[in-house]
Amino acid sequence: MKFSMLPSVFVQMFKKPWTNKFPAKYAPANTTKFLADVGEGKAKLIPPIEVPPNFRGKIQYNKDKCIGCQLCIKVCPCEAIEFKPKEKKIKIYLARCCFCSQCNDICPVKCLSMSDEFLLADVDPYAKDLIVE
Amino acid sequence: MKQKTTTKTSYHIPVGPIHPALKEPVYFEFELDGEKIVDVDVKLGHVHRAVEWASRKRNPIQILYLAERICGICSYCHPAAFALAVEDAAEVQIPERAEYLRVIQGELERICSHLLWAGVAAHEIGFDTVLYLTWQVREKALDLTEFLTGNRVTKGIMMIGGIRRDITKDMLPKIQKDLEYFKQMYEKLGNVFLNDKTVKMRSQGAGILTEEDALKLCAVGPTTRASGVKKDVRVDTSYFAYGDLDLHCVTPADLTGKVNGDVYDRIVQRLLEVKQSIEMIEQCIDKMPSGDIVSEPKLAKLLAQLKKVNGEGVGRHEAPRGEVIHYVKLDGNDAPFTWKVRAPTYNNILPWIPMLKGNQIADIPIVAASTDPCMSCTNRVGIVKDGNKYELTKEQLHKLSVEKTRRLMK
Amino acid sequence: MAKKEKKLTPQGIVKSFRDEFKTKIKDVQIKKRAAGKKKNETVTIWMKVDKSAFKSVIEHLCKLQFPHLAVASGNDLGKTIELIYHFTVNYGGRMDEINLHISVELPKTKPEIETICDWIPGALITEREKMEMLGVKVIGIPDDRKCFLPDDFPKGVYPWRRDETGPEKLYKNLHEVKK
Repeated sequence: MKFSMLPSVFVQMFKKPWTNKFPAKYAPANTTKFLADVGEGKAKLIPPIEVPPNFRGKIQYNKDKCIGCQLCIKVCPCEAIEFKPKEKKIKIYLARCCFCSQCNDICPVKCLSMSDEFLLADVDPYAKDLIVE
Repeated sequence: MKQKTTTKTSYHIPVGPIHPALKEPVYFEFELDGEKIVDVDVKLGHVHRAVEWASRKRNPIQILYLAERICGICSYCHPAAFALAVEDAAEVQIPERAEYLRVIQGELERICSHLLWAGVAAHEIGFDTVLYLTWQVREKALDLTEFLTGNRVTKGIMMIGGIRRDITKDMLPKIQKDLEYFKQMYEKLGNVFLNDKTVKMRSQGAGILTEEDALKLCAVGPTTRASGVKKDVRVDTSYFAYGDLDLHCVTPADLTGKVNGDVYDRIVQRLLEVKQSIEMIEQCIDKMPSGDIVSEPKLAKLLAQLKKVNGEGVGRHEAPRGEVIHYVKLDGNDAPFTWKVRAPTYNNILPWIPMLKGNQIADIPIVAASTDPCMSCTNRVGIVKDGNKYELTKEQLHKLSVEKTRRLMK
Repeated sequence: MAKKEKKLTPQGIVKSFRDEFKTKIKDVQIKKRAAGKKKNETVTIWMKVDKSAFKSVIEHLCKLQFPHLAVASGNDLGKTIELIYHFTVNYGGRMDEINLHISVELPKTKPEIETICDWIPGALITEREKMEMLGVKVIGIPDDRKCFLPDDFPKGVYPWRRDETGPEKLYKNLHEVKK
């Protein structure tokens, strides 16, 4: 009954598996200790897969170019951008951002761009790393 | 599961709201006589998120992203239909290159969705090896989507008046390589699904939807085309660039010669549609004209233009599951006055009733999954019998389905 | 429906309705929209129908050619509620389909309309949705339970309306939290 699938299953035994590799070869018993070891050079971290070009990662903000027109605030679907009226600049909360890059498209002076960073997990939504200003 | 009493009465099984093979939280109540289903009752509304109400304080560009998150698998169709509705109301002209690009993205999404469905259908029968094979092919399709749009699922590529990203000449070699790979794997998958004895035994004759029922209950999508009714928005109307392409309405009669309306026909239907999608992407790449990709690149000006519009528009698109229709009424404010969304699965729920009557409990997963309802989840089934409550977990209901396969194989 | 039915033209449809119903049909608009390089057009007909003639209009349409009912949408226009039924006819050919949108206005003091489920059984879910979302009473519907809202949703609150029966009291702005 399973004859139609047997050839491909057999071939698969000799091919490289499709799944991407986990960062460590074996799951570490204590993650913080493992990361400390990597920092000192004692353990190796398998890097994540390359992202394609034009990937929409963490947003980058060029503060000097910004003119304070507030168009990005008007178009953000998640209301993740806040205006600072005294300095006429913006503050972006990454915890609410959905990475659509619509703000990049509408900005008249092109001061916003998307980088390659996607390892952004954190426990506190208002942590320093997750606020761009 | 056997009844020990001497009097024969039918009993009721509630199935849902969050359920094994149903991908959408739906509540069924089956009336059973032994193992056969006598009557079905359907109840909806478990994932109602008030999306249309949330659109009352958002401008059209923000609504595009809200629409994308209505469903994960058809995350291109809802913004597409919404953009069509707004362009109909505001009478915006779209550049030709944008229309061809929109077709390519739509067909790529159709390939991803049908491959996902093929894997889930195989899993429901108990054929897990095929699940892994089809989802392996789907990984390649998702990688191609990420390369073209920047994300695997919520693509964010639709814009009112055009599309946000172009396909440049240096992207073409990778697209063509991937299309060749899909064509090869299509041959292999076709062989497994159509010629395998197990699949045929489980699916032929199960869950029949007659042509008359499909017409009267207004079913849409591959469910109704597999019953012989030729309703396909891409063939019937001219929107995006479908009017220029050479396509016809696919029915299972193209491959097997006869249309029965059962689960096997729906499998054939979706495989043929995958082939049709690959051919359409190739046609589009050959015929693509040059030009702009969006009618109004300055978005602030676009928003100001939309604010002055006073009118209604309807947008229809052929999603992988059927016809999506959006109705928009603009009245001169930032946010639209009314936005009505109708996802294709809602029209395909009433046909479940004639499809399930007369079948056995172990057929519920495969028949319900064959109409490809639009979300995925797992949970328990509660059975009330003789006043005692038994609970079947997803694993047990799935095991029932697999055991039936083994019984048939002997 | 194995026999081949004659294809309808937009003018033919409008004429057939006008001949039968005369003054009950108002505000007919035929719009065309072109797409693609070859600029093939899709035709849409918008029609307003009087409430008293609604059921016979649907009967006439079903006898002319059995339509496909996509959905029924609703608007709250202040003193009236407008229901728009979106039909399509002529499916099956290549680019022959005609969209037909029939709208009916109901006064808020008596928002009642007849069911079309006896002619088109697939209209059940969309009619139930109108009943719970707009407070429209559909006379003769076979099943009048709530469709999308939970069973313990308060009575008398209609989510799509913009007057005092709207859902304004029910929502909480959870996202306006400390930043």
